[in-house]
Amino acid sequence: MVEEQRSASASSASAGRPPAVSVRGLWKVYGPNPLSIVGSPDATLSRSELRAKTGCTAAVSDVSFDVAPGEVFVVMGLSGSGKSTLIRCLTRLVEPTAGEVFLDGEDISKATPQRLRELRRQHFSMVFQHFGLLPHRKVIDNIAYPLEINGMKKAERHARANEVIELVGLHGYSHAFPEQLSGGMQQRVGLARALAVDPQVLFLDEPFSALDPLIRRDMQQEVIRLHRELGKTMVFITHDLSEAVKVGDRIAIMRDGAVVQIGTPEELVALPIDDYVANFVRDIAKSHVLTLKYLARPAQSDEDMDGPELAANMIIRDAAEIILQTHKPVRVSENGKFLGIVSSEDVLRLISGVA
Amino acid sequence: MKFGLKRRIAAVSIIAAGALVLAGCSSSVNDSADSASGASECGSWAIAMHAWNGYTASGQVVAEIAKANGCTITQTTLEEAGVTYDAMEAGSIDVVIEDWGGGRWKEWVDRGAIVEVGDNGNVGLIGMYVPPWMAAKYPDILDSANLNKYADMFKTSDSGDKGAWYEGPPGYTTIGEKMISANKLNFKAISTGSEAALVDVLTKAEANKTPALAYFYTPGTLFIKIAGLEQSRVKFPANDWSDAAKASGLTDYPETALKKLASKKLMDSNSVFATIVKNFNWTNADQNSVSADIESGMKPEEAAQKWIDANPDKVKAWIGS
Amino acid sequence: MTHLKKSHLLIGVGLVWITLSRIFQGNQTLELATSENTSFTSSVGDAAASIRGNRTKSAAFIYFFNPIRAAITGFVEIIRSIISVPSGNSIIPVIGWFGVVAIVAFTVYATSRLRTAILAVSLLLACGALGMWQFTMDTLAMTLASVLLSLLVGIPVGIWAGRSDRVLKILTPFLDLAQILPTLVYLAPLALFFLIGTASATIATMVYSIPIAIRITAHAIRNLNQSPIEAALSMGSTPTQTLTKVQLPMAKQMIILGINQTVMAALSFVVIAALIGAPGLGKPVVDALIIRNVGQGFVAGFAVVFVAILLDRSTSAAAKAQESFIPLTSQQIRRGRIKVGLSGLLAIASIFASRSVLSLAVWPGSINISQQVEDVTNHATKWITTNLYIFTVGFKDFISNWVLNPLETLLAFSPWFVTLSAIVFIAAVIGGMRVAMLATGLLTLIVLSGLWHEAMITLTQTIVATLLTMAIGITLGIWVGRSSSAEKVLRPFLDAGQTLPAFVYLIPMLGLFGPTRFTAIATGIVYSIPVVVKIVSEGIRSVPIAMIEAATVAGSTVRQIITKVQLPAAKRSILLATNQGMIFVLAVVVIGGFVGSGGLGYLVILGGSKPEMQGKGLVAGFAILLLGVTIDRIAQASARRT
Ligand SMILES: Nc1ncnc2c1ncn2[C@@H]1O[C@H](COP(=O)(O)OP(=O)(O)OP(=O)(O)O)[C@@H](O)[C@H]1O
Ligand SMILES: [Mg+2]
Repeated sequence: MVEEQRSASASSASAGRPPAVSVRGLWKVYGPNPLSIVGSPDATLSRSELRAKTGCTAAVSDVSFDVAPGEVFVVMGLSGSGKSTLIRCLTRLVEPTAGEVFLDGEDISKATPQRLRELRRQHFSMVFQHFGLLPHRKVIDNIAYPLEINGMKKAERHARANEVIELVGLHGYSHAFPEQLSGGMQQRVGLARALAVDPQVLFLDEPFSALDPLIRRDMQQEVIRLHRELGKTMVFITHDLSEAVKVGDRIAIMRDGAVVQIGTPEELVALPIDDYVANFVRDIAKSHVLTLKYLARPAQSDEDMDGPELAANMIIRDAAEIILQTHKPVRVSENGKFLGIVSSEDVLRLISGVA
Repeated sequence: MKFGLKRRIAAVSIIAAGALVLAGCSSSVNDSADSASGASECGSWAIAMHAWNGYTASGQVVAEIAKANGCTITQTTLEEAGVTYDAMEAGSIDVVIEDWGGGRWKEWVDRGAIVEVGDNGNVGLIGMYVPPWMAAKYPDILDSANLNKYADMFKTSDSGDKGAWYEGPPGYTTIGEKMISANKLNFKAISTGSEAALVDVLTKAEANKTPALAYFYTPGTLFIKIAGLEQSRVKFPANDWSDAAKASGLTDYPETALKKLASKKLMDSNSVFATIVKNFNWTNADQNSVSADIESGMKPEEAAQKWIDANPDKVKAWIGS
Repeated sequence: MTHLKKSHLLIGVGLVWITLSRIFQGNQTLELATSENTSFTSSVGDAAASIRGNRTKSAAFIYFFNPIRAAITGFVEIIRSIISVPSGNSIIPVIGWFGVVAIVAFTVYATSRLRTAILAVSLLLACGALGMWQFTMDTLAMTLASVLLSLLVGIPVGIWAGRSDRVLKILTPFLDLAQILPTLVYLAPLALFFLIGTASATIATMVYSIPIAIRITAHAIRNLNQSPIEAALSMGSTPTQTLTKVQLPMAKQMIILGINQTVMAALSFVVIAALIGAPGLGKPVVDALIIRNVGQGFVAGFAVVFVAILLDRSTSAAAKAQESFIPLTSQQIRRGRIKVGLSGLLAIASIFASRSVLSLAVWPGSINISQQVEDVTNHATKWITTNLYIFTVGFKDFISNWVLNPLETLLAFSPWFVTLSAIVFIAAVIGGMRVAMLATGLLTLIVLSGLWHEAMITLTQTIVATLLTMAIGITLGIWVGRSSSAEKVLRPFLDAGQTLPAFVYLIPMLGLFGPTRFTAIATGIVYSIPVVVKIVSEGIRSVPIAMIEAATVAGSTVRQIITKVQLPAAKRSILLATNQGMIFVLAVVVIGGFVGSGGLGYLVILGGSKPEMQGKGLVAGFAILLLGVTIDRIAQASARRT
């Protein structure tokens, strides 16, 4: 079940402002008479049991979390675990069966169609797993589409579209049609379209799945830049754990519609709540996510205590060089408080996966 | 070659519109042709053309005379009676030159859609005929009382274990079923659908010396084509009815004076066509001579013209000049 | 119910039926003389008469029917005066034949490509050469007018049904019914209100083709790839923006295909609508049927075929041109534009010419090969009917004596309750309880209508024609389904066959078999074979290759593969094909009333001619509808259960 306190404790940034996205008890049930499931004893059944008993599928079941302004919130989970459905509920492309979604404190489930359109046009935008490009429009007109329906003049919107085309590296393709582009290029058109309106919040459903590694890295850098420099809030779905670690502030792991655990990459790796999560994060290079705090241990009698001092929140990978070069264990301290020492054997053991 | 559909539709419609506008303003051949002909005096009218060859003759002669007098005439093939009367009420037909149906148009006359214009001079007689070879071989077959004796000969794959009685087309005056049941005949009425089918039945029967019993009528040129057919009519007891709906079925068809009908619109106009229709009146022999020419391969227009040329006095009298 | 049991039950029903039929032969058959009315038909007749009587008096006519009639007649006449009939005071239409040819050439060229344009022009010129220019123009004008009006209604309603489940649900029964309803049935009721003439014909054509436009448009909207639409919504598109900027552009090709189907339906109906006064090629066709001039019928029939190919090819080529959204290079576009512009100018010049040169305005009478075609055809027909008499009449007599008559005896000359129960039992066995109950209701209505006997005669002909159709259709279907070269050879004929109006097929059959029931049956067979072959061959082809390979590896012979693998797997398609075949056959068998097939179709035609029979004709039309629905439901249910 959901670990409320985890998600609450994890939202560290910008206290005081309401969360950019706040989800409470969200359900999406497909099938006959979906409303009757929520709140009934059936709600506690597993997805397959529920399906066998009632013919309903709980694509999203009882999900709650907050995304702080400027945070990149990653959602992961096996295929069919409900990620796309969840993100669609956030924008009401799919009507939730039950629960509440707040965007900047506004209850989106109560928004009128006009207000919803307004939000969609100005406040947030989406990148789709299956791109959703308009096959009958050129790249530039696809990207200009959200501007066009907003009533922007042709010259102006084309100028803006060209800017984002540059940004995603599609220079020279503005007059091509989607079916003339490779999958990866189409995906970038989708990304450019979402960026064209300069939204506060971005919902990205596997936005880089079709990209080759080089472009993918560029795009990830772009997301990080948007995040760092422009303070955009993002909900980001991916299957790629290293990508999640790279761009995400926090990661939610979903299984069968429910959120199993939410936390920073370090928390997930250090304290997986169950085997499912542990399995999920197994392939992460621990040294890439864990900080020295995780390795710090009391010194043994024969160890030197005069090694250099390093901050506890330093990523092990970054500290490794210093540790391996000093031939002495380093001392780890947090806010001046001594936590323990880390030796080069500790680091090597972690990197080689023996630990 | 292709480019955006929108643009192409636009191009097509602009050009089409342009063409229409230009076509509208440009002078054309017809304007000059028009002033010479004086078509406006008579106007344009439509004659119903029913599909038996006697009608074709009458309709074509009237049409040719009208055209020669400056009328624009449309000839429209239509089923008889109801269909045609409705067309007259709708304004798409103006003249029926030969109607056999003793008064079934009354309702339309009452509504003011149709005007009865009187007899056209032809006298129609319907009857049941066998091919002449049968009349010669079995003389007593011409008495309806003996029909049952020969019923077996008339069996076909369509009539099953009864004799085939080839009945007239749907719009014609027919009482075959009544005659069969009232006279307790061992026959089955088979609908044929057209005069042509009846012609076919009798011609084939005579040619192949096979038995057949079929509905037919005078005036008509089949009697010229099949020698002795007129004498091969099966006689039923003398006619005692004029309204087919009230016929007992025991007795034979009546002799009928054939009628002309016209639309109110035509009769109210001063068109010369109205005069022609009012005055048109000719004999069975007249009609037969024209139909015989058509039958022998002449085009209806030519056959009609031939008769018109040969009978200038009659035509003059009809035009009323 | 297992398979074995089912067939045993059916045989059982058949035996009981035959026995009872023998015992009660000729009793309670509800036979009614042609000229007789039941109290029901005469009260319908009275109602019709009073409607007729009110044509000049009642408000419904004065303010509703008559204005509609006037408006539609006016609309059609405007189009006719442009291309077909003398306009205003002149003796020629606004645009002469040469101009029309130029416009067609230009339009087809601009919307598809040169080859199609050349084909279109040749077909049009061929119609002229057949001496059918004005009839052809009338047909084009009528088709154009009805299609424009149909699309005006059909596309918006189709879009609506494409976007709203509720609307689709409300419309579906009507759309289904429209697919079953034989064309002949539309005519009489419309003529009652709109009289005889272009208005009735146009409205009847619209009633026939609007459902097709609705169905395909709704289908086009519904089957779009949903992800672009969802994306458009996510960006805040209004419903109107989504429709105009996303859905319609994406559905364009499918909608143009829908227009193609609508045009073809309208064309085939316009030909039949000659019966209620539609101008055009239907007239010489009907004429030829009435005077039994096969040659003349062929001349007109060829013209219909040419117009059908012209319209089909040019509209489907326009749809094909929409296949990809990707345009050519800008240079090619420019060149294309110049070409279209030049040809447009040429077209305008031709229109001018067609207005100022008489020989370009009126089709020159000297170019006319109709007599030759007529003569050749008549000679051929004569030769066939005299020399192949044995085969044609022999075949006809064989089928009549050994299939048609026994079946007619069983269906129409058993007591009505025996036949009714037998049909209901069969429905229960092959279609289940619900269909059996539905059939009971529908058949009881036919009994109550008083036209049971006639309905059974029509049903007999429909069944015989369907049996023969299926025998031929399945054989051809297997062949086409298994051999791609066979498909290549037959496909054009199947395509052409499906686009031709049923009426046209009556002509050669009438020549071969004369005015009998068998002419209607043979026409029905020829008309419905293409659709049956298509469905069956698709079914055969859809059998997974793996299944066939497995059977081949297991050592099956070709025959075993067909009978043990392909046919069982294609069973559903075959049942569906039977259903379609029956509906097509029924539509033709009733038109056969014209050429002596009797039954309900004859009564419908009789009702049109004889005012005192109008009630009976209308009831007969309704009985045809009931029969069609019964057949369709039983066949559908049996297809569903396999
Ligand atoms: N419209 C629908 N009707 C019924 N069930 C649905 C519908 N949409 C989704 N589901 C079900 O909801 C579940 C979650 O689907 P969803 O697309 O959200 O998964 P996902 O996590 O995005 O998977 P993937 O990684 O493959 O994209 C699936 O079991 C799916 O079958
Ligand atoms: Mg997904």
